[in-house]
Amino acid sequence: MSKGESKSEAGAGLMQYSTEGVMPFGPVHPSLKEPEYFKLFLEGEKIVKVEPRIGYVHRGIERAAQERTWIKNVYLFERICGICSFHHSLAYTEGVEALAPFEIPKRAKYLRELVAELERLHSHLLWLGLLGHWAGFDTLFMWIWKDREHILDLEEAISGNRVNKSYTTLGGVRNDIPDGLADRIRTEMGYIEKRVEYYRGLVLTEETLVVRTKGRGRITQETARKLCPVGPLLRCTGIARDVRSEDPYASYADVPPQVQTSQDGDIASLMTLRLNELTDSCRMVREVLDKMPAGPFKVNFPRSVPAGESTYHVEAPRGELFYFVKSAGGSTPERVKARPSTMSNILTATEMLKGHTLADVPVVLTGMDPCFGCMDRISVVDVDKSKEWTIGGEQLRQYGIDYYRRK
Amino acid sequence: MSSDEIATLASQLGATVVVGPKTTVLSVAPGSVADACKRVSGLPGWYHLSTITGIDLGQDIAILYHFWQGKRFLQVRTQVPKASPRLPSISSAVPAGTLYEAEVQDLLGVAFEGNPFLGKKVMLPDAYPPDAPPPLRKEADPHKIKKMMELG
Repeated sequence: MSKGESKSEAGAGLMQYSTEGVMPFGPVHPSLKEPEYFKLFLEGEKIVKVEPRIGYVHRGIERAAQERTWIKNVYLFERICGICSFHHSLAYTEGVEALAPFEIPKRAKYLRELVAELERLHSHLLWLGLLGHWAGFDTLFMWIWKDREHILDLEEAISGNRVNKSYTTLGGVRNDIPDGLADRIRTEMGYIEKRVEYYRGLVLTEETLVVRTKGRGRITQETARKLCPVGPLLRCTGIARDVRSEDPYASYADVPPQVQTSQDGDIASLMTLRLNELTDSCRMVREVLDKMPAGPFKVNFPRSVPAGESTYHVEAPRGELFYFVKSAGGSTPERVKARPSTMSNILTATEMLKGHTLADVPVVLTGMDPCFGCMDRISVVDVDKSKEWTIGGEQLRQYGIDYYRRK
Repeated sequence: MSSDEIATLASQLGATVVVGPKTTVLSVAPGSVADACKRVSGLPGWYHLSTITGIDLGQDIAILYHFWQGKRFLQVRTQVPKASPRLPSISSAVPAGTLYEAEVQDLLGVAFEGNPFLGKKVMLPDAYPPDAPPPLRKEADPHKIKKMMELG
């Protein structure tokens, strides 16, 4: 069978499926964390235009925050994201604390950095596993998610929870780390570092992943400066911007990151970048434990916050996470604005898709690390035939795998 | 950015300047917003627009454009009356603002003239009642809006 025949056959299969009817999976579905909807315009196999539609799980949290007390909002904002929940509560608490006229204990700041870096570790591992899944390398997905459990167990040992950790609070953190846990964390960091080295050797040479990621979803520095993506998506173009080093928060001034960059701006360079960040996070976790000062981990925080405005941001695993807090001096905020990292990366993702084929969509969109929901419902418009159909996430994944298998 | 550079920029834009510990605020007239954002994003190293925030102040809506570099934020700020909330879009001068403007349009009802999402929903559900005020405005009652949506 020639390449041309197999492609058209695959396309015909999609069309046939469409006429039989597709049960839409998402954009709102209990298994999805951050659903988005992309409408793709195709000329043959080539994507020529992408229209995003977001807001399917917009829950009105900013409005709800105006009717809750300052402390209740810590636990509200961490529920924006199921993966980087701690970074949301961290950006909010430090943003509010910037309005209060007293110092937060140094030990609390170190403990915040500790949990933030553990969250980066589990989020980057989650991403790498998902990239394997969407590229059809499910063994990689299972290995990595098993290793990720080690980090989640540590987070549970520190805070009592795996996902919504509720660890940071206004005035510090809720509890100190239990006795003996520091040694266990050091041991686990050794294990994760070894696994990262193993994955580095595997994913950067394994043919399936190289073919699916090298040169795919490429963005240039010029596009990055124009569309202002954040985090790894920006750093993979060679621009070394990281809130942790440029505008340190928590204890990042004492234990800074070695800001990682890569040059090619494609999905393969995103893999290299995140693997390097994983190694660096392991180093930082150990350094935080070594340098952590003794002392209190919390101070009492007033119920009312002095009037004023605070602009704050942290480096979440997906990039700059921005909070704006306005207080009128009362027990509830006047306005809190949260801008998650993915919101900044959507426009860049639409650029990354242009010029690629439908088969590249799963891997390129995963490259932006959108939480996986975005891919689970995609509309496709054939520009020449003015036809439109919908593809479910699993169907699109299989289409990509089959396309590259035949190639 | 040095205080001289800020003063020059402010005089060119007819803006008032407030320098805070972390944020420098440039308050400009609504008509000068696109020009102000273009000039700020053209300053060396100041290309990064973090987001756009809208705040309901009662009679007016404040729109804040947050630019970031190093340890500082530069905030371009303006106010539009709630009765006619219209502003020129910055989307052609600062493309990163396109989606942020669309969010403010949905949640506070501000029209950004020239934005490709003008009049299109990006954040709100398609079934959001056309008669209900935008959800982040003070007069919006979430319980009433929920009831309107249930009744269709």
